[in-house]
Amino acid sequence: MSVFMDLNLTFSADRSNMQQIIDTAAYLGFSTVAVNYTFEPSIKKKETVPSPKPVEDLIDQLPIVQGRSRPIRVLNRLTLVLSELSHFRPNLTEYANFDLLAVQPTTEKLFHAACTQLEVDVISVAMTEKLPFFFKRAPVNVALERGLAFEVSYTAAIRDATMRRYTIANAVSLVQACKGKNVLVSSAAMKPQELRGPYDIINLCSLMGLSDEEAKRSVSSICRSLLLHAETRKAASGVISTKKSCGEKPQQQEAPISRNTGEGDSGEGCAPAAKRLKSQLTD
Amino acid sequence: MVRVKSRYLLCEINVTDRNSLLLLNDKAIAAAVKEVVARIHGDYGAAMCSLRFSVKYLNTQTGMVFLRFPKMSYKLLWSALPFITSIDTRWKKIPCFLNCLHVGGTIRTCQKFLIRYNTQQLHRMLPNCQNEEEKEKIRKAILSCSIIQGAFEDERDDNEDEP
Repeated sequence: MSVFMDLNLTFSADRSNMQQIIDTAAYLGFSTVAVNYTFEPSIKKKETVPSPKPVEDLIDQLPIVQGRSRPIRVLNRLTLVLSELSHFRPNLTEYANFDLLAVQPTTEKLFHAACTQLEVDVISVAMTEKLPFFFKRAPVNVALERGLAFEVSYTAAIRDATMRRYTIANAVSLVQACKGKNVLVSSAAMKPQELRGPYDIINLCSLMGLSDEEAKRSVSSICRSLLLHAETRKAASGVISTKKSCGEKPQQQEAPISRNTGEGDSGEGCAPAAKRLKSQLTD
Repeated sequence: MVRVKSRYLLCEINVTDRNSLLLLNDKAIAAAVKEVVARIHGDYGAAMCSLRFSVKYLNTQTGMVFLRFPKMSYKLLWSALPFITSIDTRWKKIPCFLNCLHVGGTIRTCQKFLIRYNTQQLHRMLPNCQNEEEKEKIRKAILSCSIIQGAFEDERDDNEDEP
């Protein structure tokens, strides 16, 4: 049994609802979940980036994951709905508060930019509308090379028949573009009733054109590699990582941790080894 | 003789209000599954679902249900199950979702898994107990499921021979 993760639970201010969602996720066997905050930046209105609520505020006691003895891990994630490239400010310190950073591009140009330039982890694909652009192979391949993942969320499909058509259509075209690699399937659930068990999701992915193996990876190992990717984003090119030590010496810097450099293929100019999937390292 | 092969899905019905589970019956679940398959996969799905589909077992206390599907099309039919959001009973509509726990080739393997799973659930309950009395009850229940296991199997073996 592998470790299942659901990297998208919609944040709601209602505390009891949030608690119920996390409880249900643990009951279904997800060992890591990420609470998602959506943010739509615009130039006219100066809005502040939402700051993540500490996990203690969301839930009293972390439930034990089904079939394991450890409590569930709760992360934070920010999704930026981009309508213009300038809205993405790469060096914003607020972004560093989140464990995962996702963008949802709305135009083809932005999709291209997100795949090739932006320092993010996840490219989210809108599931509630017909996509205004096609997925092109070239930017998708660059994104795969950089270790980004494309996200498909299934909750919209459960809610309503029209959404279901859009979701399946968008997902199929995405899967065809990236040949089933680096597709992340998450829930985007707002209510505990909208979550589904991991094995159901894996089988559901067959509707989207993923094979069984790819589908299983989309809820387990791709999530794991994404979390590692997110960590390297915070560190300098994945070579040096700094930690805030809460002890008596706050100034002391952590010793540089050299990450796994994947012997043999660390050619110059390619992304650090830790940023890529394990399978890509071996082939 | 070659026997007709089926797949048995062990599903758990998750509801918010556990009391509403008692209202469920086999027919309501079968109707809900048929309806959702027809909605997702159209006439082809409905045809596949009418072949050898049946609800083999339902435990209204724990919300466990065994579904039998023909082996050739169980993946297709299973892919429709996540879209179930509610089950209509005679009295009211119960919002719920199905969570598939195990897929087996015979009812017997499913039953073995179910017993193991239920024991696991009892273990999960143990740390949440409020007082000593409850703890003792659950400990007894855990011990008893390992003893009854043998007797239980004999009783249900006959079911397996069905096509």
